[in-house]
Amino acid sequence: MGGVTDTVPPFIAAHLTHLLSHFPLTLKVQQMWSSDKYNSTLFDRFTLLIPYCLDFIKWDIIYNADSPSTAPDFIFGPEDCDFHPFHMASSVEPTQPNNSFNDWNYKDPSRLLNLVQYLRDQYVLYQRKRVEAVDDDRLKFEISTIISREGIEMHLTSSAEKPEEVKFAVPLMDMNINKMVPSCPWRYSQKIYLQVVYPVGRIYLSAPSAPRLKLVSSPELKALFSIDDIKLPPWLDGMCLAEYLPNLEEYLEKQVLEAVSLVDVRRHFIEALACLFGRPVEADPVFCRKATFLSASGVFTFLVHIIIPTQFPKQQPALMLQSSQHFNAQMAPIKSRLISDYPWSPRWEIPLMAERICEFLADEALNFKRQCSEGQLQ
Amino acid sequence: MDNPTLQKIAISGPTLASLIQRFSTSSSSIDGLLFGHVTHVTPLNLTDDSSTTDSPTLLATVTGFLSSPSPSTTSFFDSSGTVNTSSLHRLLLHHNSSLLGWFSARRKTPIRPSMHEFSVTASLSSLSQFSSPIKNATQPSNFNPCIFLLFASPTSDHTAHIHTHEYRAYQFRRAGNSFEAKSIDIINIGPAFRGHYGSFSPNSMFPALDCEIEGSRMKEDEERLSRMKQAAKDKKELDDYAVGFEIGKLSKLMGSEAMSYTAGLEDLYEKMLVKIQNLTRSVENSSAKVLELENHNRKLKHKISRSAASE
Repeated sequence: MGGVTDTVPPFIAAHLTHLLSHFPLTLKVQQMWSSDKYNSTLFDRFTLLIPYCLDFIKWDIIYNADSPSTAPDFIFGPEDCDFHPFHMASSVEPTQPNNSFNDWNYKDPSRLLNLVQYLRDQYVLYQRKRVEAVDDDRLKFEISTIISREGIEMHLTSSAEKPEEVKFAVPLMDMNINKMVPSCPWRYSQKIYLQVVYPVGRIYLSAPSAPRLKLVSSPELKALFSIDDIKLPPWLDGMCLAEYLPNLEEYLEKQVLEAVSLVDVRRHFIEALACLFGRPVEADPVFCRKATFLSASGVFTFLVHIIIPTQFPKQQPALMLQSSQHFNAQMAPIKSRLISDYPWSPRWEIPLMAERICEFLADEALNFKRQCSEGQLQ
Repeated sequence: MDNPTLQKIAISGPTLASLIQRFSTSSSSIDGLLFGHVTHVTPLNLTDDSSTTDSPTLLATVTGFLSSPSPSTTSFFDSSGTVNTSSLHRLLLHHNSSLLGWFSARRKTPIRPSMHEFSVTASLSSLSQFSSPIKNATQPSNFNPCIFLLFASPTSDHTAHIHTHEYRAYQFRRAGNSFEAKSIDIINIGPAFRGHYGSFSPNSMFPALDCEIEGSRMKEDEERLSRMKQAAKDKKELDDYAVGFEIGKLSKLMGSEAMSYTAGLEDLYEKMLVKIQNLTRSVENSSAKVLELENHNRKLKHKISRSAASE
């Protein structure tokens, strides 16, 4: 949000920067625009994308550049026309935030964050109520078994085109992945969720069909562990979530622990490479997924990029050579293709793996040199 | 008790036009109160089809409004959306037609009621002390101010030359705590609107005439004297505009003299045109001055907000 301060009145910019940098979830500002007729460069309204139930909800936040001392107004999504955060029956009386509205202090940058947090909490309750009101016995049973999970979110989608569906985002495993990675760079807590989608309202079906299941993780987790490599255990007939989840969690926990232990294997591998190639020019110190070495074949010097998969050593690393002396027509250094078909065995000791790569590169360097001189001539 | 369900909300063309005009000329959002009356109408369905039910429909007619820039200190609600009854009473002091609800007009926003608008409407429609009697009702019943009119201009308006104004009407239902969208009838003159004349009730607003006698202290007399002087001055100014339009001359337009009076008539029209031209010019000049002042005020406001934020 580099440009925020130029086009947004300072008091709004202060609220917004505080919100974006301190909110526990990754928020996005989709668009910003101005309400002013004459001066359309002063932005005082914006659309906020808030993560909810593995999807986003879109809220328009309406400030008034003309009267900075008034609290912003919110316009919720068109499908949430029944969501009235301050008029929710049987919820906790909104004494606290209501008061914060009454003595809204625009000089306090944390006000917007508190408000958005409160509104999102209310939204969680609102959706929960909607889902609980769905007349479906299986669903009611499933809810009763998983409602106690901390951080569970649910959503009832109803649109004219599609049949009604209830979506759950079930947080899996009570483990803090961030703490398991030494010197972890992640700002947000990494979690793995199981998305469970139940079709509802089809009473004529005699045997309830399996829900749609999908594992979802935050994109940053990919550096350690790819959720796509996980094969979900099958959903048996007549199964319920309370039966399904413990097995899945046990299995996932093993996978995560293994993924964490593989970081050290990769680190050893890079260290073994360093014995042969010298100190790496660049290396990923946390997840050990990448390393770059400087190498030479006679007078021909080149960089070797080594990309190590999370499944290492089962999967071999991919190599890419980059010349330090040859450039193409765009003045970019000439690079080889990604090489991952060289001799490899996952059963080799790690020093042997490094040695075999070194041997392979001695030959490959000559090929690459030829390719470079040809490439440069063209 | 919840209000009876409205079948329709009607607004006269000029009232709607002047509301939109107020909205489009204001520099920011505006809101305000809606006045009018609620009537039971027996529809005149003069069709051969006898199956149409003759149930009376409940019609709310908006005849006037009171607007203020929003948010402002003169609003009838606070920032949490609760109606302040004493300031509402103050606003209603000079209005003799009954309160039907309120409206909000905001620039470049989706045309859906906002969180704040919901709170204000919920609060306003719960105030039975501001309710008005339903006319022609079979049994005496009252109508709480539960109408909400929403105006908005589209968020992505790239064409600066076309002004789009969307509007929606809602009735707030306290039973379900929700807005119910209502169709708006715009009443204009013509055969299609004949039905509306049945429920017509004139409510033109005359300025309060100054004819009190009580209180004859010197100070008040002085005040009255200056007011009378002002009135005389105004009258003279008006008379200046009417020079050449004396009633006596008008009689010449009739009868045998009329033929020879064409030149005089043309002269009259010419004078009228010159006067209108002068009038438009002075209106133009004064609008330019108003705009200049508004821009100046805006700049000052931004300066204040900037300096406040840098503190």
